[in-house]
Amino acid sequence: MTHAAPQGSPAAVPAAAEPRSIFARSRTLYREWMHRLVAPHGDQFFLVLAVLIGIFSGLAVVCFRVAIEWTHLLLLGSSLTPSPLRVLLVPSLFGIGIALLVIHAFPRARGSGVNQTKTAVYISNGYVPFETVIGKFITCALAIGSGQSLGPEDPSLQMGAGIASVMGRRLRLSQEKLRLIAPVGAAAGLAAAFNAPVSAVLFVIEEVIGTWSAGALGAIVLAAVSSVVTMRWFLGSESLFRVPPSELSHPAELLAYAVLGVVGGVFALLFLKWIAAARPRLQRLPPRAQYLMPAAAGLLVGAIGIWLPQVMGAGYPIIDQALHGEYVWRVLLILAVLKILATGFSFLSGTPGGMFAPTLFIGAMLGGAVGGVEHHFFPGLTSTVGTFALVGMGTFFAGFLRTPITSVFMVVEVSGNYSMIVPVMISTLIAYLISRQFQKVPLFDMLTRQDGVILPSIEERREHVSLVVEDAMRADAAIIFDPDEPAAAAAQRAGAAPESPLLLRPRLGEWRLLDREALQRLAAMDEPSAPRMVSEATSKGPLPLIFPDEPLDEVLRWAGDWPVLPVVSRADLGRLEGVLSLADVLHAFRKAAAE
Amino acid sequence: MLAVFCRREARHMKSRSTLTNRACAGYAREAVLASSLILLVLMFALTAFVTRQYHKRVHELGDQWFAKGDAELQGGGADAAIADYRNGLAFSPDNSVFQFHLAQALAASGHTGEAEGYLRSLLSASPGNGEINLTLARVAVRRSAMADALRYYHAAIYGVWEDDPIAQRWRVRRELCEYLLGRGAASQAEAEIIALANNTPKDQVAQIDTAANLLLRAQVWSRAEDEYRLALAGDRRDQDALAGAGAAAFQLGRYSEAIGFFTRLPQRGRSSGDISEMLATSRAVESGSPFLRGLSPADKAGRLRRALADSEARLSDCVQKSAGVAVPGQEPAGSDPQALLTEIRKAQGALKRASLARSLTLMDADMNLVFEAESAAARRCGPPSGAADRALVLIGREAGGDRGGASP
Repeated sequence: MTHAAPQGSPAAVPAAAEPRSIFARSRTLYREWMHRLVAPHGDQFFLVLAVLIGIFSGLAVVCFRVAIEWTHLLLLGSSLTPSPLRVLLVPSLFGIGIALLVIHAFPRARGSGVNQTKTAVYISNGYVPFETVIGKFITCALAIGSGQSLGPEDPSLQMGAGIASVMGRRLRLSQEKLRLIAPVGAAAGLAAAFNAPVSAVLFVIEEVIGTWSAGALGAIVLAAVSSVVTMRWFLGSESLFRVPPSELSHPAELLAYAVLGVVGGVFALLFLKWIAAARPRLQRLPPRAQYLMPAAAGLLVGAIGIWLPQVMGAGYPIIDQALHGEYVWRVLLILAVLKILATGFSFLSGTPGGMFAPTLFIGAMLGGAVGGVEHHFFPGLTSTVGTFALVGMGTFFAGFLRTPITSVFMVVEVSGNYSMIVPVMISTLIAYLISRQFQKVPLFDMLTRQDGVILPSIEERREHVSLVVEDAMRADAAIIFDPDEPAAAAAQRAGAAPESPLLLRPRLGEWRLLDREALQRLAAMDEPSAPRMVSEATSKGPLPLIFPDEPLDEVLRWAGDWPVLPVVSRADLGRLEGVLSLADVLHAFRKAAAE
Repeated sequence: MLAVFCRREARHMKSRSTLTNRACAGYAREAVLASSLILLVLMFALTAFVTRQYHKRVHELGDQWFAKGDAELQGGGADAAIADYRNGLAFSPDNSVFQFHLAQALAASGHTGEAEGYLRSLLSASPGNGEINLTLARVAVRRSAMADALRYYHAAIYGVWEDDPIAQRWRVRRELCEYLLGRGAASQAEAEIIALANNTPKDQVAQIDTAANLLLRAQVWSRAEDEYRLALAGDRRDQDALAGAGAAAFQLGRYSEAIGFFTRLPQRGRSSGDISEMLATSRAVESGSPFLRGLSPADKAGRLRRALADSEARLSDCVQKSAGVAVPGQEPAGSDPQALLTEIRKAQGALKRASLARSLTLMDADMNLVFEAESAAARRCGPPSGAADRALVLIGREAGGDRGGASP
């Protein structure tokens, strides 16, 4: 069997001579397919890789969750209310062990997984060391399993990013793809941890990438879906929480959820302010204190846990109980406040672990408490306390983590309940606005800035208003000529406005620039027997058309190539809306910067 | 590995020089992908093993806590059971049996709101489940939400039951009847009790007794007597049925039948409070009523005289005992005891003087007088305590003199 030699690319598999057997033909087909699949710049390969990353991340997250549960069972027992001695000793003693591991074995395990993934994307070309994955797995399983008030989602996100990064490096992906692959893994890890692929995709787009990049979106979705499928294969497909059925019976009840939005926003703001103020002070403590901080946090969390063990760990069963209205509003309020304290202690101590689950916990308790109080004063409310707890989760999440779209979809997805989407949207929006109004820098950006790294702020980027052509163009500034207009008359019109650019409209959708000097020369040569037409005075080819709504930074690419560009209506390419020059663009940018 | 791939491919293509770095990269990818797939299989196996062990342990723990909760609940420790069930649910959050038992424990310990949350959640998963609807109905009863209770009871009656659905539905309807009777909703109860009686198997004497007893309590006397007769057809010595049938016959004014049922009871059953009273009253009616068929005119006249004498004695006795107690103007118009006594005495005198035929024409008016006297005495001195007086009230009522105030 013979092959022509490959020409340059492995994708270009040579046209084989006529195969002599089915086996040979199959082999050729396989080679062609495989070469096309693993082509270095092929999108197909990237998508296949995304599926693989998703499956690996799903498996890792399953093992991680099981590890947390085993650790919890071994250390704290199977009761929801363990003995006080255990509650006090386990988190503090294991805090020392965690500190030793973090300081000596896995220094990168400390900190927010979201920010480390962003760092990988924007600074280190998608590089997440595999030790981070191992370190996060071990230290977080120990921390959360021993009762520290932290959650498994953020570490899962980072484990996914780490796995993706390792695979990308092994497969020698291009730098561009390597940068893209960490968010793909992050989405996979988060989706498996939350059992919520849509929320994970939204979160990664909303918080890590910041744009709806078509190149990344397909891979992110595939990775998220495959990781969730893998996770469900082993752990079941049930929603994270079982929510009693509920619906909004009267629109006036939306006011009750608006109140929840205000309360959730204020609490989220207070929590953010506390972390913003306390973290730099704790970071300034001598290095020796780093050994003791997780243990001290464990002791404080344990001390709270003696009274209310519900605040320990991720707290999913407790959220479930709140959703079923098992606590009165006073208990819910106490749990919310104590969980804020416990989570603050654990997080500020540098113990590895995430903030997602505690955020949901606090939100659920706060929502239930607000619902309980409102029920006390307005017994006619049809929404149950559990419903308020459900809405509260999204509210606090939006206020604290500042990802409003993710918050709404996450509540819907983790509960499998679509009926409350309107109250969630209202409450979430209010909390988000309150938090943003009084805390300009979001949590993740604040943490990186405190660590001395300036990563692009997705929230700032999201809210940045781009200048468009309409902001810079000069309307009614040009003189328009038809191609059959005599040169003499045209020169006379042009002379009346010596500063205005001269544009010729030869046919619909085509605009050309007229040379003022050429026009005057043409007019001078004009004779009644042989009139000269204005079209003879055009310079260069047709001008590129731009539209009033186009972003100015995109137009900037070719604005310098032409003295002036015609801005035309999208509905009528023959109608001139204005003209734009490089000077106009720069003036608009300067003006915007000054404002 | 990569080199092996590349060399092999180069040999294969008979042109080592044309094999570019990119081609080698492609084969390296193949190798990495192949090893990734192997690793994937290994991780799959490992994860499967780990999760299987984990699920096994979790199920064990869930079952242990559940069994503990059941034991606590049966021992009356609802609060301890709640904690155990919650522990169990932490390991098996979707276990509807655990959730249902927790809801029952919550309801039993008065946490109706929480119980309802769980039950509604369960109900949304299986809306026709009879047991869940029944528990929701009980929760609604606890929080005095009658409309909800009725809705859930009906849903339970028409719901799905796994074991012996006919008997379960019968029991639920009986509970609903008891609830309605307890709430004093007699008209709603009547319809349910009749439905219960209609759905009672004809060979289940105990169930027929129960239905008949509910009919009796709802004062559906005739239907109650029918049901008791049905029960007696199955068991002639059924004491409950005899007592119930007697009571129903008594209420229907069929005193001889009542006596017949009561006397078939053994002595001990017959001597119990209500039955002995009804029996004595029935006998007094039978021996004192001038309206009974088959009596000779002389007997009727004699009974009329005795009735007048008894009522006169009761009223005068009552007037003496309550002298100074009665408030003037409290008596209904025409019911002044003294005036009544005077009228009775007049009637007694007239009866002595009248011929036998004439006496019988006065019988309705005289018995009406007797009833008014008994009623007046009842208003002053309370219900009659003696069988003879109770009988007189009943006889007077039978004669059409029921104007309220007396009850046997």
